Amino acid sequence: MTTAMTSGRAPRTPGSAALVRLVAAREAGTRLRDRNFLISSAFILLLLVGVLVFQIVLNSGSDQTRIGVPTDDVRVAAALEVQSRALGIDLVVERYADEEAARAALAEGAVEGVLVGGRGREPALLVESGATPSLLTVAQGAVASIVVGDQLAAAGVQPQPVPDVVVRALDPQVDAGDERLVVALIGTALLYGLLVLFGQFIAQGVVEEKSSRVVELLLVTMRPWQLLAGKIIGLGALGLGQILVVAVLGVAGALVFDLVDVPGDLVGTVVAVVLWFVLGYAFYAAVFAVAGSLVSRQEDLGSVLTPTTLLLVAAFIVAFQAAADPAGAMATVTSFTPGLSPLVMPVRSAAGQAAGWEVALSVAIMLVAIAAVVRVGGRIYAGALLRTSGRTRLREALRAERA
Amino acid sequence: MLEFDGLHKSYGDDHVLDGVGFTVAAGSMFGFCGANGAGKTTTMRIAMGLVRPDAGEVRWQGRALDDDARRRIGYMPEERGLYPKMRVGEQLAYFARLHGLDAAAAGRAADEWTGRLGLGDRRRDAVEKLSLGNQQRVQLAAALVGRPEVLILDEPFSGLDPVGVDALAEALLEQVRAGVPVVFSSHQLDLVERLCDSVGILARGRMVASGPVPDLRQREAGRLLRVVVPDAPPGWAGGLPGVRVVAQQGGDTLLELDADADDQQVLAAGLRTGPVTHFARREPSLVELFREAVADEGAQVAA
Ligand SMILES: Nc1ncnc2c1ncn2[C@@H]1O[C@H](COP(=O)(O)OP(=O)(O)O)[C@@H](O)[C@H]1O
Ligand SMILES: [Mg+2]
Repeated sequence: MTTAMTSGRAPRTPGSAALVRLVAAREAGTRLRDRNFLISSAFILLLLVGVLVFQIVLNSGSDQTRIGVPTDDVRVAAALEVQSRALGIDLVVERYADEEAARAALAEGAVEGVLVGGRGREPALLVESGATPSLLTVAQGAVASIVVGDQLAAAGVQPQPVPDVVVRALDPQVDAGDERLVVALIGTALLYGLLVLFGQFIAQGVVEEKSSRVVELLLVTMRPWQLLAGKIIGLGALGLGQILVVAVLGVAGALVFDLVDVPGDLVGTVVAVVLWFVLGYAFYAAVFAVAGSLVSRQEDLGSVLTPTTLLLVAAFIVAFQAAADPAGAMATVTSFTPGLSPLVMPVRSAAGQAAGWEVALSVAIMLVAIAAVVRVGGRIYAGALLRTSGRTRLREALRAERA
Repeated sequence: MLEFDGLHKSYGDDHVLDGVGFTVAAGSMFGFCGANGAGKTTTMRIAMGLVRPDAGEVRWQGRALDDDARRRIGYMPEERGLYPKMRVGEQLAYFARLHGLDAAAAGRAADEWTGRLGLGDRRRDAVEKLSLGNQQRVQLAAALVGRPEVLILDEPFSGLDPVGVDALAEALLEQVRAGVPVVFSSHQLDLVERLCDSVGILARGRMVASGPVPDLRQREAGRLLRVVVPDAPPGWAGGLPGVRVVAQQGGDTLLELDADADDQQVLAAGLRTGPVTHFARREPSLVELFREAVADEGAQVAA
């Protein structure tokens, strides 16, 4: 029997999936129009752009060295180039007509140093105020090679070209590992920030429903777990979207501006961070939601969120410790501890200290923990939702579930 | 037919509901009366699945209410609740969807109800920007927007001004005419009397009276007698056997007669004081029924 004045098909019973989807869409839609959310998103992106720009400046500014040579004698210029290649220094040799012109270029800042008298008895490296070690080394090496070559020629020895030394790395991981570690730490910091941010969003949303009493109207149409799942999934999709944007932009930026040596490692680490975000988010979202459900006013939220926030802060600190000592007992234990592992394990594995089975085990432990939190937390949440006066104790909530 | 059957509920040692039961016919309006703390809200929350009863059940069309059936009920909780920062139109559409309407139908229903309840130009405003009276209208729209088969409203008239009361009453009567059974609780007995086909009176968790208003009147009718004797002194009827004076203002006297009292004796006593300008049995008002029922209950409890 439907009402006479509203025409159209009779309402249909929405299934669990439909209800969860409705809740999730509302949560995401509300946040997308929320100023705090937009500001925090913009902030994270700005931070990322800042890091990229910083890296680019660092990379381009430090490497290239320009040296002036006041002669058209090819031997000095050639010796400088050979030396710079041998030493792995990015050197540009500028040739000037005479010493006067070279000095002028130095004064203008077009070159960092000018090598004069390179073939004579008294070679000199003219600089503005001080010579960088790389500049001095190149100049010294070039002069030495010319002098030695001349002396050998004078003694009648025909110098054979010196064979290039082939570099053979015994532990190729060490250097690349550093880079991965930096990426993992940036990722961990991002993960920490997003977990705190979205945890707050979830808890605030739960309290808003309680304090406005709208929760009673909602629970008439759905079960507490459906409401909880919709909230977590809706906000989680936003969080995942945000971390994916950051990941894609970060990786793309790093590749385009050639900031990393081993792109494969970078991508691997970023993917790991994103996956750990999903696990960490599921865990913390449930915990934050349950904590939020225990109070009825936003003002009381701080007190119930403190333990969880502290756990996150601890995880963050431990993750940085782990970067310094990834093989230590602390890093090892915490990388398996639910709640800590999402921040610690990416660092440990980026440092090359976690075997595949260890990561798998840690993920499995985390999944079990999430299942437990969702199960127990869901009961607490259900029991506490309709207690809209004051603060609910955990035990009360567990007992009161739909009483 | 909506049936509340043998509901019991205790919180600790506090027996909040003690066998509450009544029925509401399709297309009828049921007024649920009772003092504060009588258990009205608890009864309604049991129907909505928000409170689990210790015993008893609520049935709709012969079947115990489950989650799916409850989605066909429009509900207004005693503690009003809406998302304060969500826009009126979007909010109503959201509730309509939770009740099973598809997106297009939900949008139309939200438009329709905001229009009909005079909120047409507030659709895009956040609920918190509205006056309390308008928020109450949105609350009602939230109960109606899902095309309910049943309406359960907890104190829907409280906090409304007379214009709002009339608008709400009209909306509810319209639903009733369309065949929807409506249950609402209220303190305003005159309103219940005016609107309802049946009433239930709850006192301390027990139904002390329930049924169609005329039946209840019948049961109590005949006990009240109004006599207007302009020249009579105060207490003129006090000594008559089986007669109790309920009220006397000037000569306008309301008497309650025991079943075996003789009304002709009352008339004779009146005539002895002078002219009798009015002499008639009177049907009790709902207020009187309510007082009566609650007083009886009190006496039983005291006994
Ligand atoms: N969750 C609860 N815990 C303990 N007592 C409750 C709870 N809910 C209601 N009560 C008690 O039940 C009684 C009936 O309350 P209620 O149903 O709200 O009455 P009404 O709506 O008729 O005013 C009151 O005495 C109230 O204190
Ligand atoms: Mg009440």
